[in-house]
Amino acid sequence: MNDTNRILDLFNEKNSLEEKYFMPFLVCGDPSIEQFISMVKKIAPYIDLLELGVPFSDPIADGPTIQEANMRAFEAGINTKVALDIIKKIRTFFTKPIVILTYYNILIQGSETIESSLDNTLRRFKESGIDGIVIADLPIEEAGLALKYCKKHNISLIFLIAPTTTDDRLEKILKEAIGFIYLISILGVTGAREKVAQITKETIKRVKEKIKTRIPVFLGFGISKPEHASAVAELGADGIIIGSAIIDIIKRNLSNFSKMEQELVEFISSIKNAIKRSN
Amino acid sequence: MKYNGIYPNKCGKFGDFGGIFAPEVLMPALCELDEAFEKYRNDESFKKEFYQILESYGGRPTPLFYAKRLSENVGCKVYLKREDLLHGGAHKLNNVIGQALLAKKMGKKKLVAETGAGQHGFATAIAGAYFGMETKVFMGKVDIARQAYNVYRMQLLGAEVIPVESGSKTLKDAINDGLRYWITNVRDTHYLMGSVVGPHPYPLLVREFQRIIGIETKKQIMELEGRLPNAIMACIGGGSNAIGIMYDFIENENVQLIGVEAAGEGLETGKHSIALGLGRRGVLHGSLMYLLQNEYGNILKSHSISAGLDYPGVGPEHCFLKELSRLRVETATDNETLESFQKLSVLEGIIPALESSHALACLEKIKGEFNKDDIVIINLSGSGSKDLNIIKQRLEFKVK
Repeated sequence: MNDTNRILDLFNEKNSLEEKYFMPFLVCGDPSIEQFISMVKKIAPYIDLLELGVPFSDPIADGPTIQEANMRAFEAGINTKVALDIIKKIRTFFTKPIVILTYYNILIQGSETIESSLDNTLRRFKESGIDGIVIADLPIEEAGLALKYCKKHNISLIFLIAPTTTDDRLEKILKEAIGFIYLISILGVTGAREKVAQITKETIKRVKEKIKTRIPVFLGFGISKPEHASAVAELGADGIIIGSAIIDIIKRNLSNFSKMEQELVEFISSIKNAIKRSN
Repeated sequence: MKYNGIYPNKCGKFGDFGGIFAPEVLMPALCELDEAFEKYRNDESFKKEFYQILESYGGRPTPLFYAKRLSENVGCKVYLKREDLLHGGAHKLNNVIGQALLAKKMGKKKLVAETGAGQHGFATAIAGAYFGMETKVFMGKVDIARQAYNVYRMQLLGAEVIPVESGSKTLKDAINDGLRYWITNVRDTHYLMGSVVGPHPYPLLVREFQRIIGIETKKQIMELEGRLPNAIMACIGGGSNAIGIMYDFIENENVQLIGVEAAGEGLETGKHSIALGLGRRGVLHGSLMYLLQNEYGNILKSHSISAGLDYPGVGPEHCFLKELSRLRVETATDNETLESFQKLSVLEGIIPALESSHALACLEKIKGEFNKDDIVIINLSGSGSKDLNIIKQRLEFKVK
């Protein structure tokens, strides 16, 4: 089991970087554990990878939409143990790559030392079926231990790059990056925006120019419409990530679950179609 | 022991503690701040300007006051470092003047800060007015309701107070939202951290700006007594007043350093802020430290009668000093604190902040350890006039 990594498999296929990929983000256990699993089942056909948030009580990189989703998930009883069970259940029907997004403190609990906790937690996540992990508050400077144990358990440690990331730090990050690069499109926290910022275009270009290997670049933060998705795909991103705009659909339909699922499927398939056209 | 000038290392580490656990978007700003601070910390004209402002505007040096009646009462020589007399009524001014001056040199136009009770927010508003920088202060909705007077003071000084609705709507959430704001406005804004917490270089630069307390204290006690004290006591929330007075005594190993955490309603109730004493290692707000947290790593709500100590973590340097057994950690409950608050008011005519009253309460508990000639210095980090609303709910006087 340790030897499969579905992210690496996906991008190792022939010519796969000619395609555009779509990875939606959902908070694990939002709005409830059963409904969450049901939602994943419904959207599974229209996505290429799945990103799952494992909530932390103090998510400084997240805007109000995802903070509220975290609160709903906490109310539904989410914690590391429950998240692992949910991912195992998803793995019974979902075969595409799963990436989790969390904060460092969630990963360094449970054993005697920080190092042994990290080793154990990453092993348990790998066994549940994840392929990659994004740690929102772990810059390259602090990532030594996480890199060591992600390698040990064959998990891709996905690094974030921001428009403000300097060239020398960008090079440091690219040296360690495995799986794909998570490019933050804007200066800001997560959240749906009306327009895709101007900064995006130059950032994609700058990052792409620095890349020496065949690592794909995914763009996230602020993308909320099919037009955005096709526009950023055309700018040269290999994949797009949408979180808050999807979670907004959940929030709008908390009292009507079948409508929630229907709107989710409509929105997610429209994004997939939009980036397919730009393929 | 050799200590001064060694910690933190280049990566912001105090042993295992500290570090830079920050979102990528903030990294360039933190690096920029680190570089700027390294450039100015040994710059004579910067240091001179910093001290001149604290002197002419802030009222430094603050007195080291021999509390005669309190000394007779507890049975050793008690000195109070009167940070309550600093402009703004607390030690907070040292830090905000230092950081705002640095931000100005860096070409930043705006200040953003978090506040719990409003003391740091108030101090930041003072610095914003002094330097003519637009100031935004994030404050939890619960705290805004509890501290209407401080909200009003900040607004009087021209600062904008922004209510925080997320999480527990208190200090830790105000830091979260302040950092989120900074993430979005990082280019022209300086985040003015209120204590020795947060990602590197904050624990370092806040300590360096607060060190003036200890430097003065050492000089003053040598002049007054011709010898170093037996012990220095200070309350610890985030820990800036404690590290400020203690740092220049760390290498003087005969001086006991005693930090006092808020035991709130009591250890057994779970309603306390004893991060050093009872917390586990974890990462919050960019730094590895002892934290009050559940088994899964989610942060617990802290509690204290004094909002300034009501924080679930504690500065990384204190964690390290505790691990080195250089810092002794004690606690005082809300009730013990109130008694000492009243006692100092009556004995010395000084109304102490509830935060500082924790250190006084701890002295009451351990006074048996000191002889008549022993010298104990307490950092009276702030004035209690800000706390009168809270005190009044517990303590009523009748007019005959």
